[in-house]
Amino acid sequence: MGTNSGATAGINNKPVGGATGAGVLVGGGVGGANSSIGGVLSNSLGGGGSGGLSISGLNAGGQNANVGGMGNVGGDDGGNGMVGGGVNNQQATTPQYTIPGILHFIQHEWSRFELERSQWDVDRAELQARIAMLLGERKCLESLKSDLTRRIKMLEYALRQERAKFYRLKYGTDPPQLNEFKPSNEDAGLAGEVATDSEVPYSSVSNTTWRQGRQMLRQYLAEIGYTDNIIDVRSNRVRSILGLNNNAEHDGSGGGLGGGLGGGTGGENLSPNINGNESNKRASETEGRHTPAKKVQQSIDEIIVDTEAAVMANFEFLGATEMSDDDEISDDLEMVATDNDDTDVKLAKRAKSGKDMLTEEVDGSLGLGELAQLTVNNESDGAYDANSKDGTGGSAGGAGYRKTWNAKYTLRSHFDGVRSLIFHPEEPVLITASEDHTLKLWNLQKTVQAKKSASLDVEPLYTFRAHTGPVLCLGMSSSGETCYSGGLDGNIECWQLPSPNIDPYDCYDPNVHSGTLEGHTDAVWGLTTMQSNIVSCSADGTVKLWSPYNKEPLLRTYTASEAEGAPSSVDFVRNEVDHIVVAYNSAHCIVYDTETGKQVVRLEAAQEMSGNTGKFINKVVSHPTLPITITAHEDRHIRFWDNTSGTLVHSMVAHLEPVTSLAVDAHGLYLLSGSHDCSIRLWNLDNKTCVQEITAHRKKFDESIFDVAFHATKPYIASAGADGLAKVFV
Amino acid sequence: MKMADGSTILRRNRPGTKSKDFCRWPDEPLEEMDSTLAVQQYIQQLIKRDPSNVELILTMPEAQDEGVWKYEHLRQFCMELNGLAVRLQKECSPSTCTQMTATDQWIFLCAAHKTPKECPAIDYTRHTLDGAACLLNSNKYFPSSVSPRVSIKESSVTKLGSVCRRVYRIFSHAYFHHRRIFDEFEAETYLCHRFTHFVTKYNLMSKENLIVPINVGENAASGESEA
Repeated sequence: MGTNSGATAGINNKPVGGATGAGVLVGGGVGGANSSIGGVLSNSLGGGGSGGLSISGLNAGGQNANVGGMGNVGGDDGGNGMVGGGVNNQQATTPQYTIPGILHFIQHEWSRFELERSQWDVDRAELQARIAMLLGERKCLESLKSDLTRRIKMLEYALRQERAKFYRLKYGTDPPQLNEFKPSNEDAGLAGEVATDSEVPYSSVSNTTWRQGRQMLRQYLAEIGYTDNIIDVRSNRVRSILGLNNNAEHDGSGGGLGGGLGGGTGGENLSPNINGNESNKRASETEGRHTPAKKVQQSIDEIIVDTEAAVMANFEFLGATEMSDDDEISDDLEMVATDNDDTDVKLAKRAKSGKDMLTEEVDGSLGLGELAQLTVNNESDGAYDANSKDGTGGSAGGAGYRKTWNAKYTLRSHFDGVRSLIFHPEEPVLITASEDHTLKLWNLQKTVQAKKSASLDVEPLYTFRAHTGPVLCLGMSSSGETCYSGGLDGNIECWQLPSPNIDPYDCYDPNVHSGTLEGHTDAVWGLTTMQSNIVSCSADGTVKLWSPYNKEPLLRTYTASEAEGAPSSVDFVRNEVDHIVVAYNSAHCIVYDTETGKQVVRLEAAQEMSGNTGKFINKVVSHPTLPITITAHEDRHIRFWDNTSGTLVHSMVAHLEPVTSLAVDAHGLYLLSGSHDCSIRLWNLDNKTCVQEITAHRKKFDESIFDVAFHATKPYIASAGADGLAKVFV
Repeated sequence: MKMADGSTILRRNRPGTKSKDFCRWPDEPLEEMDSTLAVQQYIQQLIKRDPSNVELILTMPEAQDEGVWKYEHLRQFCMELNGLAVRLQKECSPSTCTQMTATDQWIFLCAAHKTPKECPAIDYTRHTLDGAACLLNSNKYFPSSVSPRVSIKESSVTKLGSVCRRVYRIFSHAYFHHRRIFDEFEAETYLCHRFTHFVTKYNLMSKENLIVPINVGENAASGESEA
């Protein structure tokens, strides 16, 4: 039993040792990967799952692993108690060597090995999880590092600008105050020393220098009027930033670090004496480095020291301006700049050793407001994908999402204008509907190889034929299994989507066309789906609600007064079940309750009642989350309406020619519009500004773009044009 | 597009347009069309005005590139043939028409596959139309970068003949095996009549392949009576 458990413990130890080794490697490696910080962080933390992991100290990791190992050993002992007993029994009867005895022994041995093996498996899984977590951490450190480098560049630039400004302003006005200034100059030098110091921070000499420098600096600051109070305000701010970072980045990763940090910073008052002590403490702690608790403490110390350094640097700068000495200022600022460079190197090194990202965070946050903004932008660069997946895009996506969309796929196979297109809710698959009487199914993963142009050609996988005239509109069920199309012939056809991997030249399966909804007596122009229901609007003046696979598919018909004219477009109100919004030729929208059939709200702007000619609504869409309706008008406007009051919220000239189509992304952050001016435009719904314009299609007669669409879960947008093409942008 | 005389006629089918008003706008002279799709617009305009006036529809305007003219007409044929395919789908099933036949003398092999095979008639029809759509929209033979719809290279024009030969078989199968459908469709569209006229006029198919009895010399009115 004893030997067993010892062996198991030994075995357990081995992989742990390996893991720590791997951890060091991981920490030391420099990768080119630069991914979204938030995403990586949350991933790695989710993977880790246990408290204290976020500290990311190797020793802490090792400690955890050991604890895990011990736990296993305990379990092992329990299991082996039986085994050992069995073996002992066996030994008592050993001389006989009976067959049942041997079998019994072998059985026990086997079960013991099985037990051990499963334990190893568990251990291995644990270690793999840890490796994944460390990898994740490394990635986020890498990206932090690059962020920081950028921020420092920015800071340097800002400093140079400031320096130039002051030089210009103050040149020749004040006499140099050498005796006052020299020490401050020296301080800068000290700061520089400190920076290098922290790479070899444990010599007593440097501690003394450090303390002396700090005291001197404080003295001078006091002289120029910066009292402790102000410094305390600063440090408070630093602390609050620290707290913020904790919350944001280490959410759910066990309160250990947060608590430790809070305690650490709480006890810290940033007075010079304490700082000196801190430095000493640090030196003494190096010996006891392997203990995780101290490790935490140490990293906190580092944070504080860095914070201090940053604060001091700032004050130095301010102080210098007060003293307003041109030449000396230049020198002084130069020093600060170099100091920053040093810090950069230092921090980079620290990032490599995989210690604490907090330090860098703090330094960065101390920068100018501009710099903070830069951070946000950096983080949200290319983060759209992640955002759209985990649904946290609200803040980051809104602020600095700068993705530019480029045409990637050209879908050419229709003989005439493409009236409508719709994406599959999950797959990179879309369906187009054309005036050539057909619908086509496209799989963006099945591209035609090796074309000279940059954009890829996709060939259609399936052609849906049933309409006897142009197909005008499309809808798709939320499962992506069924698709509906409305045509000029007045029919709505229902289709079961073939597999996206179907052979284009497969045999004809009549079951793909799963039904026709007859009821409209004229062209069906609008179609939209909600769960299992669809609603359609037609040139016959009616709007109909259908449940396609019911015995009686037609549920209800909504008719407005003659004065409203024919409906042109329809959508479900997304944040209000049982409401639909219908656009009429009169340029009004009416919201109906689908259950009662009553008009709920009429969207109209009072002052615009007089001149409604030319305001014709080409498309109406409902915002996915807010009670807002968006309409695309013939008079080049896009208008935003409040669904509850029915009032006009915002109106903007959006294109050079009539706006024909609209689409809102699944999170409600961006609006896509298409127009007969041949372009599609992407709008930020937050501030209603145009983010990007793409010229996408050519004109046929006076028409150009008929439809635009967002993919619900993948970063695709698409446009459909009168030139018979559909284009997909990534 | 603004008209030269200042009055503005917008040729648009706005959502909510009744089907009888679809594309119902004053004709625009070809020379005023500045779109790259002018030829298609022009042809569709002629067909819309009077589908039975085959002669006028096929009369090539002066100074028109013949390759583009043929190409655009063939696109229009393939597009309209979708209408015939929709009708055939209802009646022509793999069980009734196991092969693509026209009379007892002709069996056609489907060229859409790596090795041509005897597809059932409805599959043949669909495959041929899909294949034609791919070829006629192919970036390789009709690249958009050099404005396929303004000029076409000679090597690609020769492809048009084989497309014609294949899609013609849809007419012949419908004529000999689904006569009712063929007659109804022809009465509406005059498509086979126009097609026969087209391939004869531009010498895209040999006479012996034109097995549907339509007298090319006859004018549109007699074509109608025959249908």
